[in-house]
Amino acid sequence: MDFEFSKDQDMIRETVKKFLENECPKDKVRELMNSETGHDPEMWKKMTEMGWMGIYIPEEYGGTGGEYLDLMIILEEMGRNLFPAPFFSTIALCSIPIIKFGTAEQKKTILSRIAMEGEIWTLALTELSSSYGASEIEMEASLEGDEYVLNGTKMFVPYANVTDNFLVVARTSNKETAEDGITIFIVDAKSPGINLTMIPTTAHNMRFEVKFNNVKVPQSNILGEKDKGWNIIEYILQYATILKCAEMSGGAEAVLELSNNFSKERIQFDKPIGSFQAVQHKLVDMLTESDGLKFLTYEAAWKINIGSPSNMLISMAKAKANNAYQRLCIEGIQIYGAIGFTDEMDIGLYHLQSKSLEFDLGSTEFHREKIINELENQKPLFLSI
Amino acid sequence: MDFQFSEKEEKLRKEIQEFVKNELPADHCTGMLEDEHLDEDWEFAMSISKKLSQKGWLTMSWPKEYGGMDASQFEQLVYAEEVGYWGIPGTTMGISGVGWVGPSLIIFGSEEQKKKYMPLIASGDPDGVWCTGYSEPDAGSDFANIRTTARREGDEYIINGQKVWTSAAHRSRWCWLAVKTDTNVKKKHHGISIIIVDMKSKGLTVRPILNYVGYHIFNEIFFDDVRVPAENIVGKENNGWYQLMHSLAFERGSVAAGAFGANKRILDELVQYSKETGQIKNPYIRQSLADLAIEIETLKILSYQTIFLMSKGTIPIYEPSRDKAFNDFLMDKLSSIGTGILGAYSQIDPLDKNSKWSKLQSRIEKLYWGFLGIAIAAGTTYNQKNIVGQFALQQPKSY
Repeated sequence: MDFEFSKDQDMIRETVKKFLENECPKDKVRELMNSETGHDPEMWKKMTEMGWMGIYIPEEYGGTGGEYLDLMIILEEMGRNLFPAPFFSTIALCSIPIIKFGTAEQKKTILSRIAMEGEIWTLALTELSSSYGASEIEMEASLEGDEYVLNGTKMFVPYANVTDNFLVVARTSNKETAEDGITIFIVDAKSPGINLTMIPTTAHNMRFEVKFNNVKVPQSNILGEKDKGWNIIEYILQYATILKCAEMSGGAEAVLELSNNFSKERIQFDKPIGSFQAVQHKLVDMLTESDGLKFLTYEAAWKINIGSPSNMLISMAKAKANNAYQRLCIEGIQIYGAIGFTDEMDIGLYHLQSKSLEFDLGSTEFHREKIINELENQKPLFLSI
Repeated sequence: MDFQFSEKEEKLRKEIQEFVKNELPADHCTGMLEDEHLDEDWEFAMSISKKLSQKGWLTMSWPKEYGGMDASQFEQLVYAEEVGYWGIPGTTMGISGVGWVGPSLIIFGSEEQKKKYMPLIASGDPDGVWCTGYSEPDAGSDFANIRTTARREGDEYIINGQKVWTSAAHRSRWCWLAVKTDTNVKKKHHGISIIIVDMKSKGLTVRPILNYVGYHIFNEIFFDDVRVPAENIVGKENNGWYQLMHSLAFERGSVAAGAFGANKRILDELVQYSKETGQIKNPYIRQSLADLAIEIETLKILSYQTIFLMSKGTIPIYEPSRDKAFNDFLMDKLSSIGTGILGAYSQIDPLDKNSKWSKLQSRIEKLYWGFLGIAIAAGTTYNQKNIVGQFALQQPKSY
């Protein structure tokens, strides 16, 4: 049992932290949130040059072939700094499944473009219901000659405005189960028939409705096997969910730090308000939630790191992240008082962000259902010896 | 980073499960601190203490020379988890002997004290059963406010005063007692000492206090000119507060690991019960059980982090308090949801052991009626939060 990161990993964290603090202070975050692209291409270029895009991409494709935990650390620091960029969509949602399921040719071309040129990718998965079950996939792809033709609408697609390519999840056959008959397509963002509308989210985090109207895709642009795409989605739901948890955990820790510092500086009744037990105990509960989320995330991430992901732990971490991040923001703002309710304080930015991340890769209810489903199908230990 | 147990630790876990299979009745179930209540349960618990001692597990954390195994922090954690899950009785020898009397004597005790008391505990002997006299009517959370005095007279101390909420005093051979040896001090933390008292001493009276369900777990102890040999003082006279902080750290260290095991068992029972009754189809119950599973896993990983720090030789300042406060919250939630699943049957009196109406051997009710005692013992939830606030968040004292 070892809760410590390696020296190299500590160094990755320090580098990322310093870079984000220097290059993207909160006024820059605010500026980007309200910009047209939602990110800074100059910063993106620097990150590519520093090798962040390729940290988990194998060396033969231009990456550095690092561990999953290395990537997790980057996401944790990005979440701590509320860093706005298409990093999660490109790396977590797209590069990871391509590393695993891409053909040799796909890996060679796509991964090296991501790692070395900073090509931007995103995943078009959820539809009108906005939930993550296989039965929610209604978008159709029909084979016409050598090409597939895509028709349908995807919701909450991150950074569709700046992406170079989409991974699009569509139904290619109607089979007995909802999981069967789903295929994943690699779609050039410049293809005719793609229409974007920005969804006005409170987090200003670049979520789009993407309409596919007779979009033509060559047959060779399938990722993995035809009709077997849901396996890939399940893989994404494992690997990307914990990276999302790391992002939320970093954010939650930042909220704790902000609130704790504020409570030491704010004087009422001639004392710092942190000296009042009601406030202090609230902060302690926040610390416990934040620690719990962090270590649950690490545990689940470690399982992925050694190649044996635990769906139970992943769902536990995401459900905890959803609740804990929101709780910390709400309690934290109460500690701030009225000033926390304004757009001047950073804590409000975290609060706006948390409501969006809560539904990325599965709501609390969705993950709880996965947990109980697994529990009810296990033989309990007390009946096993 | 590595979240795996070693082969040695896994082997120990299997051995303990084998022990459970061989030594405990299949439907065995004792609630928290319940062993002290009935004579037959107490005798059974003591018989298990003996067997645990023969395995070397009873005092596994102690050094070999004192009858221990020099077990690693994570071996102790595995043992605590299994004890919690299977409800193995007799592991504490009353309330204090295994947990903090032995470890404190190793640091502060005289050679004679170590030789006299430690083998009795390590061997699972009835004369190795201890209770701890800390709380008094005016010294609860404000522990340093104790009034019980020990006055030196020749080769003896004369003790006068009163202790309260003393768990297992009616089963104990010895008392680990906090007293005032100097009452002319400016700060109340000064002038405190720890002294070992024979429970058979003249002038010592134990009066039972029943809890609201009717269990006899704790007691009052009255000291009326009780004479104790001077050599029974532990460590230095008037150095008690410092020593107590060590004892309390031992007491809190592994609480969460044991609690994780016990809570996990309750969850497993509730899932199984809901399957048998068909309630598992109810979406609200599904969501509630999943939520409990998340919180129990959270307690587990927090306790592992605390033990990890200890395994690296760090004395964790606030983590055990964090874990205890979290467990207090969790037991509340677990038993509230659990009694909700049992419905009206959760009101069956757990003291009626053979009631045909009781479900799951009254496990859920025992937790429900018992958790408040656990939440208050060894420092209330609020006290633990004070510690976390001061030492983790660097906040001023809030009390």
